[in-house]
Amino acid sequence: MATDETLPWDREYALGGPDELSEREQAAVEACLRALADDEFVLAERYTEWQVRGPTLESDLAVANIAQDELGHARLWYDLLEDFGYTESELIWERPLGDFRHATLVERPFERGDWADAIVRGFLYDEFEHLRLDALTETEYPRIADRVGKVQGEEHYHREHARNWLERLATGAVDGDPANGHRRVQEALDRLFPHALTLFAPTVYEPDIVELGVRPTPLSELREAWLDAVVPELEALGFTVPVAPDAHPEAVDTLLPAERGRDGSHTDAWPDLYDELTFTYRQLDRREAPRLMADPDDADGDGGAPR
Amino acid sequence: MSDAERPEDGDALPDETFEDEPRYCGYTEYRSGGGHPDLPRTGEGASGIEARVWDALYEVEDPEMPVSVVDLGLIYDVYVDRTSGEARVDMTLTYTGCPARDYLLSSVERAVENVDGVEDVLVNLLWSPEWSVEMVTEDGREALREFGVAI
Repeated sequence: MATDETLPWDREYALGGPDELSEREQAAVEACLRALADDEFVLAERYTEWQVRGPTLESDLAVANIAQDELGHARLWYDLLEDFGYTESELIWERPLGDFRHATLVERPFERGDWADAIVRGFLYDEFEHLRLDALTETEYPRIADRVGKVQGEEHYHREHARNWLERLATGAVDGDPANGHRRVQEALDRLFPHALTLFAPTVYEPDIVELGVRPTPLSELREAWLDAVVPELEALGFTVPVAPDAHPEAVDTLLPAERGRDGSHTDAWPDLYDELTFTYRQLDRREAPRLMADPDDADGDGGAPR
Repeated sequence: MSDAERPEDGDALPDETFEDEPRYCGYTEYRSGGGHPDLPRTGEGASGIEARVWDALYEVEDPEMPVSVVDLGLIYDVYVDRTSGEARVDMTLTYTGCPARDYLLSSVERAVENVDGVEDVLVNLLWSPEWSVEMVTEDGREALREFGVAI
């Protein structure tokens, strides 16, 4: 992409800083950021369920580490929403559940604690994330440009992890019965593929996001690139994918689930997850606090005020 | 305090941060983990209030390793307006998921606040250029080796 020659601190931007945006520009930037931040946040919440349940100690560590990365990235994107005056509480802990804009893929519960489910989900998501970040290297919004490279640098490992496990499951390298891993991946794929398509569901702001250059590549093009990447790879491993890589967009659209995530409609799994992830916040009655943890310095400075 | 706070004129933006610095055409080779030709900054050549700010920053250590934020290469620049006493510290973190982010940023803020002549501090968190081990100073490398981290 263009940024191979021009790095973020050495180029000019069509959009200004957060205080300089027009109403239309800010709405487009916000819409783009909400999808980014909510995807990473909710996916991380789901990954943490695997922290002590992976099939090996190394995979426990790997998935914990990936979850931590995704939370870090979510924070980076939420920061940029805070530029516009929102607080962390407003963006996460007190946000009505219908205001979250993540794709339904990341909110789905794991099927019967199925490791293949976690791997397929990671594979489908990380390939999307790779393409989205690549598109964002060309953003006209400098605050996003400053952060994309850092996030990209931390995503390589996620793709490798998902690919590596996908191959091991596909070839039966981790199971006494070689057909077992393969079957479970196929079942996960059948369940998750339609939800993965919601990653590309446009919002009403999509035309502005593209036209103003917040993300110059439209989601429709990202979806084509994604299908080009994931479908042949899955087929090469012997899996059946419900669409051909060059399927007509309208044919692909027919696979979409009723809930699209990006428009605020979510599957039945979301209210439960939302309750869980906001539980401690509500239990501690932290409505007035900007964050969950006391600043360690404050705790010391107050002569040991209880945390 | 957060990186959401920016100077009014937007001069914290990355493309302007390295304004007035030498330009290189061959940036690309520094892209992944190759460091940056202008970094690390160590405060060398600073004088007056700015020198005192750098001294204060050398006192702020990473919470996990006995090395200062300067020697770790986290400080990208220091500016002090000598008339108003407003200070700005451009810095980064090694990792986006750093659980000590607030702790580190507030430690830096407090250290700089206490510098004689500083009236107000803005800690400006930047993510590009991306931090890499090449940004650790020689003193930092030595401290890390003593601590037992191979670098």
